[in-house]
Amino acid sequence: MHDLQTVLVLSRWQFAATALYHFLFVPLTLGMTFLLAAMETVYVTTGRQIYKDMARFWGKLFAINFALGVATGLTMEFQFGTNWSQYSRFVGDVFGAPLAIEGLMAFFLESTFVGLMFFGWDRMSRGKHLLITYMVALGSNLSALWILIANSFMQSPHGATFDPATMRLELTSFTDLIFSHDAQAKFVHTSIAGYVTAAMFVAGISGWYMLRNRHMELAKRSFRMAVLFGVFASIGVISLGDALGFIDGNAQPAKLAAMEAMWKTRPPPVGFNVIAFPSQKQQRNLFDIQIPRLLTPLVTRTMDTVIPGVDEVEKQAMVRMKDGIPAVLALKTLSADPTNLAALAQFRAHQQDMGYALLLERYAPDLTAVTPADYQRAARAVIPNVPVIFWSFRVMVLAGFVMLFYLGIATFCSMNNKVQERRWLLKIAPWLIPLPYIACEAGWLVAEMGRQPWTVYGVLPTWMSVSTQSVGYMVFSLAGFVLIYSAFIAVEAYLMFKFVRQGPDEGATAAPAH
Amino acid sequence: MIVLRMLLYLVISLVTLFLVILLGQRGAWYFAWVLGTVMIVLIAAAGGALLDAQEEAKQSGR
Repeated sequence: MHDLQTVLVLSRWQFAATALYHFLFVPLTLGMTFLLAAMETVYVTTGRQIYKDMARFWGKLFAINFALGVATGLTMEFQFGTNWSQYSRFVGDVFGAPLAIEGLMAFFLESTFVGLMFFGWDRMSRGKHLLITYMVALGSNLSALWILIANSFMQSPHGATFDPATMRLELTSFTDLIFSHDAQAKFVHTSIAGYVTAAMFVAGISGWYMLRNRHMELAKRSFRMAVLFGVFASIGVISLGDALGFIDGNAQPAKLAAMEAMWKTRPPPVGFNVIAFPSQKQQRNLFDIQIPRLLTPLVTRTMDTVIPGVDEVEKQAMVRMKDGIPAVLALKTLSADPTNLAALAQFRAHQQDMGYALLLERYAPDLTAVTPADYQRAARAVIPNVPVIFWSFRVMVLAGFVMLFYLGIATFCSMNNKVQERRWLLKIAPWLIPLPYIACEAGWLVAEMGRQPWTVYGVLPTWMSVSTQSVGYMVFSLAGFVLIYSAFIAVEAYLMFKFVRQGPDEGATAAPAH
Repeated sequence: MIVLRMLLYLVISLVTLFLVILLGQRGAWYFAWVLGTVMIVLIAAAGGALLDAQEEAKQSGR
């Protein structure tokens, strides 16, 4: 059975599920490597054994996470070929290079040095081992850089143009691709979110040890280093989140309208919806609480720039669909007769709106006979799922500020060396470990669901990107992924709890700090 | 040894200058990530070392 709509929905679910599972492992890897490097730096510069014990203990937890992270990441790259073959053909020339470099970074650089880092403690000098640890940190973050560059191309396509001769996007500027504002802000935001995740993880477990008066020397130092690492990283994440919101807000007005549940375009400065219950069907908020005049300066850096609401986004989409129809009709002529210069000229004149006409084609397969109702339905489809994006965004922001608040207080208490006396602070710490994971997952929901109905924003609609798999295959593979990945999560949780309860090597850490 | 150390600092300076020139114009956020990460790692490391100093001061009654 080839029900396109069902296959499309299942393909989206499958990619979303694998991506969300995978990103439960990634942030800790990104951040923990640099935190391990910081611990080992103190060991190398001071020669104190306790810092080596710290690096080895937290390194053991990192190893569990790293192995499962790599395993869950592999399948996502295969899915581009199996479930999104039309997308891969369309953007392969642009998307292939960053994806290949990501693979090389992850599996060659990172994995090679990870082995040396785990097994090289007694086989090389301190300085060399420290260098290896920094290489692991750099490798893991650089592999994230390349996949985020690829993702940013989907959010805000730069450095490529559509070639009607090959019927695909082709790379025109590699530097435009890697230096796009979206790629830069997204990479830094995501990488530093990983730092915060590692900080909360280490602080949470260290707090748990201190409450039980176990491994005090290791826990005190780990807690201090983690909260310092985390408090600066939190400030960075929030700053870059703001920058990313500004960049995406300009590049993707539909996502911005959804994030803010802004159904109507209003004169500036408009208010910020703190709480709202948006109804996609009725295109209005059933209830909302606003802070007046806040949204305009937040997303435009001015007080008088108009922010397009859903009504305006839909209106503009309709104009672009009408303008894009001649481009798609010209493409059909060119596919039969590539030498037709009139068709080529027609395509060139309307090329910028081709994607909108391709989106319209889903609702009106015959583009020469489009009805107003077809336009209306297609324009409605330009708006992503408002309630999910609105609330995911707020969950992410709230989690970010809660973590900053906690890390700020924890840093203050730790710097005064009074953290052991603030038992409430230590009691909270383990319960906050899930918070960065929730924030990361919510952030990806905003980014990816907010991009719908496009795989490449404004260029390639999602409905055209999917493979022609059978429904049975999709159901079977989705169920398989969910089962296997759930097992991975259970294994990770079991191993983490086991090694945390077991604690570091008592013989070494029970000894004096130096 | 001092000459080697000086050479190391020189190399670090040259790499930094190269990064500034390469990233300064088009990759400001990437450069911010490099600087920010180095700063965060060093601050965390300094925090650990400072704790040792505080503990020693406490033990010696200062």
